Amino acid sequence: MARVPNLKIPPPYRGPTRGVAEVKLSGETVLACLDAAESLFPGFRSQVLDASGTPHRFVRLFLNGDELGEGALATPVGPGDEIEVLAAIAGG
Amino acid sequence: MSGGPTGDRLIRVDMTRQTATVEPFPDEWKLLGGRALSAKILLRECDPKCDPLGPENVLVMAPGVVSGTAAPTSGRISIGGKSPLTGGIKEANAGGEPGQDLVKLGYRAIVVKGKPSDPSKRFGLEVTSQGAKLVPADAYKARWNYALAEELAKKYPATTSFISIGPAGELQLKGASVACTDEHKRPARHAARGGLGAVMGSKGLKYVAVDNERKPVRRPAQPKEFAGLCKTYTKEYLGGPQMFKWGTSSVVPIANMLNTFPYKNRTSGQSPDVATLDGKRIVESFETRGGGMHNCMTGCIVRCSNIVHDAEGKYKTSALEFETLTMLGANCAIASWEDVAELDRLCDEVGLDTIETGAAIAVYMDSGGMEWGDAKGAQRILHEIAEGTELGRAIGDGALAIGRKRKHGRIPVVKGQAIPAWDPRPLKATGVTYATSPMGADHTAGLIVNPGMPADQFARASQESQLVNAVCDSSGFCQFLQPTIEDIAGFYSALHGEPVSREQVADIGWQCLLDEWEFNERAGFTEADDDLPEVMKTEGVGPGGVMKFDVPREIIRQAKQRFAPREELFKSKATG
Repeated sequence: MARVPNLKIPPPYRGPTRGVAEVKLSGETVLACLDAAESLFPGFRSQVLDASGTPHRFVRLFLNGDELGEGALATPVGPGDEIEVLAAIAGG
Repeated sequence: MSGGPTGDRLIRVDMTRQTATVEPFPDEWKLLGGRALSAKILLRECDPKCDPLGPENVLVMAPGVVSGTAAPTSGRISIGGKSPLTGGIKEANAGGEPGQDLVKLGYRAIVVKGKPSDPSKRFGLEVTSQGAKLVPADAYKARWNYALAEELAKKYPATTSFISIGPAGELQLKGASVACTDEHKRPARHAARGGLGAVMGSKGLKYVAVDNERKPVRRPAQPKEFAGLCKTYTKEYLGGPQMFKWGTSSVVPIANMLNTFPYKNRTSGQSPDVATLDGKRIVESFETRGGGMHNCMTGCIVRCSNIVHDAEGKYKTSALEFETLTMLGANCAIASWEDVAELDRLCDEVGLDTIETGAAIAVYMDSGGMEWGDAKGAQRILHEIAEGTELGRAIGDGALAIGRKRKHGRIPVVKGQAIPAWDPRPLKATGVTYATSPMGADHTAGLIVNPGMPADQFARASQESQLVNAVCDSSGFCQFLQPTIEDIAGFYSALHGEPVSREQVADIGWQCLLDEWEFNERAGFTEADDDLPEVMKTEGVGPGGVMKFDVPREIIRQAKQRFAPREELFKSKATG
């Protein structure tokens, strides 16, 4: 079985995923994987990206443990890669 | 007077006799600080059935165990007492400088008892390395917090920080906060929840001035090991994502998406004003108006606090947080972040909890007292609170008080304390925290933002979060640094020069909760009080209003029965 990118979903975003914490997705970039997640779990994408398609300020994206900076969404991903979304949801 | 075995001391203040004495800090308490220390003192020395505003109540000011050391973001101070708002035990903590300054002088706590026979008298407590003494402070009567801090800054050495109350505390209103000054001597950091400002006011104590005399940070027993921990921890944090670098206000849009951005007294979980209340607007304002992100206390590496300027580029307030934008903004249908900034400043000035006050104003609006979204009207109310008018007192006493006065049905409180922005209907495990926490509805007691969590995990998740946060709030570390129990055990070991296991630290957190629950039980609370108001069960939020608090009582009960500690507990990050 072909290995595909794995997306790790943080607890605050597990409403649309109904508790699913990880999902394997088809996609050649980080953005394509987020879009694939949206098709599986409607409402997921908007939690990560704002209306202009930019990651929210409280969101950080990681690929294989390294934080992605500028151009994060266009970063190519391949089989076995792990995309992680971190969200600072607390406080005040 | 020399200190105890650890060299630490404790200040006792008798407001009836107007005396202040210093005694050794008990060695048996050396691993207790902040919230856990406050709970221990209150359980031993305060009658849980006492009048919270009477002489028998005990007001505790306790820095955390590592406060005053070189540990990063560790200078928080807990204020504790019997709450006039909930009728139970209460701890509220704040950043700023006084916690660190007290420990630099060797003081691990200030314990205030009694009450002056003349309620019109005001006092200040001056703290130096030589001891503590009460001084007359009638000249500062009814002074708002910022003006008070300015005057005190002129009176005392530049090395002095302040703990104070505003008019709301002096009027003994149940929503009154206790202010701590930050690095700029602004009284912007508040131990806000539960009306502890009223307890301080009932004792006639207007301010505490702590002169650190340029004393160095507290020296750990194992300086090399401690410094190594500080260095590693700081490096890891700064090399990480720094999730809070834009402050808590940046979570507004996601909270709205999660249906935990209450609108119009929680009749909806989403606000149409999300764009104008988004913290992004505040960050954008930095470029043209000035202001920016800063640390609220010396040695903080999180720097989540924003400094907000007005349109003229002048300082307005700090920090404008998510909870304030929600409770004084969306929940009152006030759409502009600038209007909320004004209200936040007024709350800090008058000395009020922004959560309780926002909830109370929303209840007033919901009951027809004023129009939704009336920002000017809300400002007028805050002035009325300071003046002590009938309406001002009712709203200053919190959501339950104004709701009862207006005979209104929708009063979102738990144990008499307003539910914060984080809503227990989409976040049901957080609702279990609100039901079972000794503090009443308090997100900092154990926030779990996991809307997909299965119901059978609520009890353990809530208990673990409550335990980790109790440990954090006892350590002096800020919850936004997100230390784990393992991290804290490491710092405690190097500080005291003896092995302190993670299990020991977890037990301290659990014992803190046990002490607080026992206090509440003795105060008269029963299992029936461990519940959310009917409105959270009958009125839903989200699409079709389907999200309601429907957690069975058995699950709520489980959160107070200790689960066997599992590996995840020790690695869980504090969050609030």
